[in-house]
Amino acid sequence: MPTKTKKKYVPGSLGKYFAMFVAPALIVYLVFSIVPFLFTIYYSFTDYTDMNPINLHFTGIDNYIKVLNSPLMRTAIKNSLIYAVVLTGAQVVLGLPLAVILNMKLRTRNLLRATFFFPAVFSSLIIGYLWNFILSSSNYGLINNLLAKVGLPTFNFFTSQNALYSVLLTQIWQWTGWAMVIFLANLQSISGDLYEAAEIDGASGFTRFFRITLPLMCPSVKIVAVTGLIGGMKAFDVIYSMTSGGPGDATQTVMMVMMRKGISDGFYNQGAAFGVCFFVVVMILSAIMNTIMQKWSDSIQ
Amino acid sequence: MNTRKFERRGLIITETLMVLLAVLWAVPIYYLIVTTLKSPAEATASPLALPSTINLQNYIDAWQKMEFPRAFANTLFITAMSVFLIVLFGSMAGYALARTSSKLGGRLFLFFLAGLVVPFQMNIVSLYKIVKALHLMNSPFAVILVDVAVNMPQAVFLFREFVHSTVPVELEEAAEIDGCGTIQKFFTIVFPLLKPVMATVIIIVTLNVWNEFMTPLLFLQSRANDVILQEVSRNIGQFSTDWTAMFPMMMLGVAPLMIFYLFMQKYIIAGVAAGAVKG
Repeated sequence: MPTKTKKKYVPGSLGKYFAMFVAPALIVYLVFSIVPFLFTIYYSFTDYTDMNPINLHFTGIDNYIKVLNSPLMRTAIKNSLIYAVVLTGAQVVLGLPLAVILNMKLRTRNLLRATFFFPAVFSSLIIGYLWNFILSSSNYGLINNLLAKVGLPTFNFFTSQNALYSVLLTQIWQWTGWAMVIFLANLQSISGDLYEAAEIDGASGFTRFFRITLPLMCPSVKIVAVTGLIGGMKAFDVIYSMTSGGPGDATQTVMMVMMRKGISDGFYNQGAAFGVCFFVVVMILSAIMNTIMQKWSDSIQ
Repeated sequence: MNTRKFERRGLIITETLMVLLAVLWAVPIYYLIVTTLKSPAEATASPLALPSTINLQNYIDAWQKMEFPRAFANTLFITAMSVFLIVLFGSMAGYALARTSSKLGGRLFLFFLAGLVVPFQMNIVSLYKIVKALHLMNSPFAVILVDVAVNMPQAVFLFREFVHSTVPVELEEAAEIDGCGTIQKFFTIVFPLLKPVMATVIIIVTLNVWNEFMTPLLFLQSRANDVILQEVSRNIGQFSTDWTAMFPMMMLGVAPLMIFYLFMQKYIIAGVAAGAVKG
């Protein structure tokens, strides 16, 4: 096999060109992802603010104590957690059955899939503005307008108790179709033989779903759960356009507070410390999720 | 025989229910479209009816208020540049990482993957400083480079997996024997074979970058450089009693991707499914 001409070329290596091929992607990634990450950690231990932009001093964990003692930041983390968990749960609980049904031999299934996925194409910012008009309590709010027309009592979607869940409602509407598409791709990879065998054994639709489909859906559930949780923690656009964090601080999320404290108010150090806390929360969430999914896939085998 | 009949009836009932649900799902979009053509009085009196007249004046006003052609051109430039850079850099890195068996290559790949779990939003404070230090503030390239960095890990992952599983090494060997250099080999032989995964990356990055609001909000302060979403937010922020006038603005905001979706729907759904990477 190894002849003289082939010695020069070893499959599986680019030789001196390796660096040239990796460098462009690596440089952009380093400068705009890794360096900012390191600077965030650095700033979080300093007295860097709008008032003190040059002479930075090490301040220990002062900023972290301030972040953890700030009611606003605690509310923001709590809200983001509720938001991420509810949104992810809804995506799985609604998206999975939807995918199973739209995997059946329905005549309109392509049209149905396209319809449910449609909202995922739009910007969350504009979705937020649109749903503001739909949920509003003033006379132009679509839902309350319709409720009033049929003589039913109207409903205030934007009280401090309801506002976060009203925002969530719009995001469940927007992202369920996205989860459905991921689940469908997974479903289509499951061999039909399994179902035929189960059918011969006389298994009902429900048994088939819980005994065959669900265990094999582990990979896509993991993708939707992890992406949903991280995505939910990052929520910004839709809050910005729907409630701006209000009423009061009822819908403040991590990113809303970080934009305000860290950028607009000029508390760069606290913004950075808050960013690190945010990162830790995301890591813990991912770890919990991985443990749960690992237990699940272990229990199947 | 009996069960088959039963099953068919079940399918028809299921289909009917799903169609009803899909109609309900589409109501907000339908409401958005019909309200663009109504006056506030008409929209309040019959919110879900078809508009009684076709009045395009609201669209003309929105088009001018949003400086739509300029905002559209800015958004298009940012999206196209980001897509171009991600496809070029991502495919090169993904290819190199797929064709190396060195320890360094493995570590570099893991290094890229780490970017999938680190939310870039946590770094907005330092990103703001870095963009300022590089004198990129208010330049579309601030948004482009940050968006490229944010989307790079996923692109590198997808390209690497694709080259690894689909592009035969034998083909490259043959080209090598024919005297084809590494760079020429990549661009003339490997690159064209990457079309399927390229489509996936292009679709995902287009949706992400076009809909990205936070990076333009942070880095593009002057109106001349801003994107469609900033124009929507600027104009809707100014509330007036003429509230249906806001709807053409929202419509213009979603229209480009709406049209993209209507024509490319099959590919977009396939692309999103193929691009889902566990984080």
